[in-house]
Amino acid sequence: MSAVAIRLELALGAFELECALELDSKSVGIFGPSGAGKTSLLEAVAGWRRPRAGRVAVGGRVLFDSAAGVDLPPGARGVGYVPQEGLLFPHWDVRRNVRAGRGRGGGEELFERALDVLELRPLLARGVATLSGGERQRVALARALCSAPELLLFDEPLGGLDLPLRRRILPYLVRVREAFDVPLLFVSHDPTEVQAVCDHVVVLAQGRVTAEGAPLAVLGGPGVGGTDFENVLRGEVATSGEATAELCVPPGLRVQVPLRGLREGDTALFGLRADDILISVAPEPPRGLSARNVLPARVVRLDARGADVVLCAVPLSAAGPGPELLVGLTPGAVRELELAPGRAVHLVFKTQSCHLLTVV
Amino acid sequence: MDGSVLPALSVTLRVALAATVLCGLPGVALGYLLARRSFPGKIAVETLSALPLVLPPTAVGFLLLRLFSLDGPLGAAGLSFDVLLTWKGAVLASAAMAFPLVARTARVAFEGVEPRLETMARSLGFSRTRVLVAVTLPLARRGLLAAVALGFGRALGEFGATAIVAGSIAGETQTLSLLIYEELNLGHDAAALRLVGLTAVLAFGVLFAVERLLRAKGVAR
Repeated sequence: MSAVAIRLELALGAFELECALELDSKSVGIFGPSGAGKTSLLEAVAGWRRPRAGRVAVGGRVLFDSAAGVDLPPGARGVGYVPQEGLLFPHWDVRRNVRAGRGRGGGEELFERALDVLELRPLLARGVATLSGGERQRVALARALCSAPELLLFDEPLGGLDLPLRRRILPYLVRVREAFDVPLLFVSHDPTEVQAVCDHVVVLAQGRVTAEGAPLAVLGGPGVGGTDFENVLRGEVATSGEATAELCVPPGLRVQVPLRGLREGDTALFGLRADDILISVAPEPPRGLSARNVLPARVVRLDARGADVVLCAVPLSAAGPGPELLVGLTPGAVRELELAPGRAVHLVFKTQSCHLLTVV
Repeated sequence: MDGSVLPALSVTLRVALAATVLCGLPGVALGYLLARRSFPGKIAVETLSALPLVLPPTAVGFLLLRLFSLDGPLGAAGLSFDVLLTWKGAVLASAAMAFPLVARTARVAFEGVEPRLETMARSLGFSRTRVLVAVTLPLARRGLLAAVALGFGRALGEFGATAIVAGSIAGETQTLSLLIYEELNLGHDAAALRLVGLTAVLAFGVLFAVERLLRAKGVAR
């Protein structure tokens, strides 16, 4: 049985949201243009919006079933919802807001753990009006976790938040994912974030599921992200030097990354833009470059993306193939280098092209 | 100062206070119902409750008089409560006139509370009562205080309905507004003017407090 099974028909202003999802993954990203119905989907699952028909089940427990006449009220659904605007209670301080989550039976231990994971202890006595946007989200997330949910819904705000600000919640989402055994349904507008947090992605457009699958395959596929796609490398810091560290990406890739205060043994996530990777078709690893990362790889496929081409390659190590990486190329380069699936190449990128997303 | 001023001031304050107490809770309750619930006949209830705002106060007074007189519907049923020509009548008349103002202002105060906050509280497992007590009322607090203060202000200046139901008995039902009328009738223009000044100060104080309450922003909204 799937952990989360959702089948919904819901009338929205201009169109109808119709989707059927069977989700076994621990964290699922919902991606798509604004107005695609992402928020409405979360609200229907949380019981804030009544679908016209359908069925929602979490861990075998039926929350809504139009055919059987089941429609649990929001408070009985066991769903922790973090809406876009956070909806913190403005007349309470942070402590009381987080504790409000305990109304549904979350214990003291859960409260303490949520405070630790989301680093809220220094903020406990603050009024919520004085918090920054990122802090508010953390408080709302802690409150949701405190309610001992069987499913966590996180709706990321889009409006007005620039990328660096938005990314500030990323480390916390990754940590929540590690520290709490709760499936997460996560609406995001940032492909990098989805890759970092989710192991399954659903793309929604005009109320329909248009693509679904592993993050790289879906987000790197045609018709979703732009050419400014960012690969996400996850690994353990093996050795750290003066200004660089070596990231060990399973099963056996070694990537030079900027130090950024990392210590040996840290698990870190790095972003690497598709446009920042060079391809060499020379049989030997190219020499005499300032770039410190030269990885043998094999071309998996090539996809046209507007005027550009996105090449998917799998880096190779003695221990086996590593995670797929996307490389942005011009059609001219593809022709000249005679790039085709199966071809052996080297991927070249600078240490500085890898930027730290978060330490887990 | 004229010897009748202090008793009139005292009667005015006591009557207005009692009237506020009498109409405060039902007014706030009606404001909540109108803001948050839908029910059949809602528009009729809304209109009916606003009627004293536009009816001549004398008309309201006359209706109350008929209602509570010994041969009226309530009086005949033994429910006259001894209101006619007593301080209770002044309280009743003032409360009737202040009630719509309290209800309407309270309604606006409740409408100013983000309904999604209430849904969130429900979602977190709060009971309906707890949502009301812990979320809605505290968030509407300032608007509700303003509603009650406006009701008090309205009761302070009540004249028409009070005159008909309670008369103008010095020290018992004679409020400042009734006293002004009496002084004018007696040709004591200077005394009337002094009383007008006094009521203006009272009214200004109340309205100033209301403005402060309604304008305050931020955490304690």
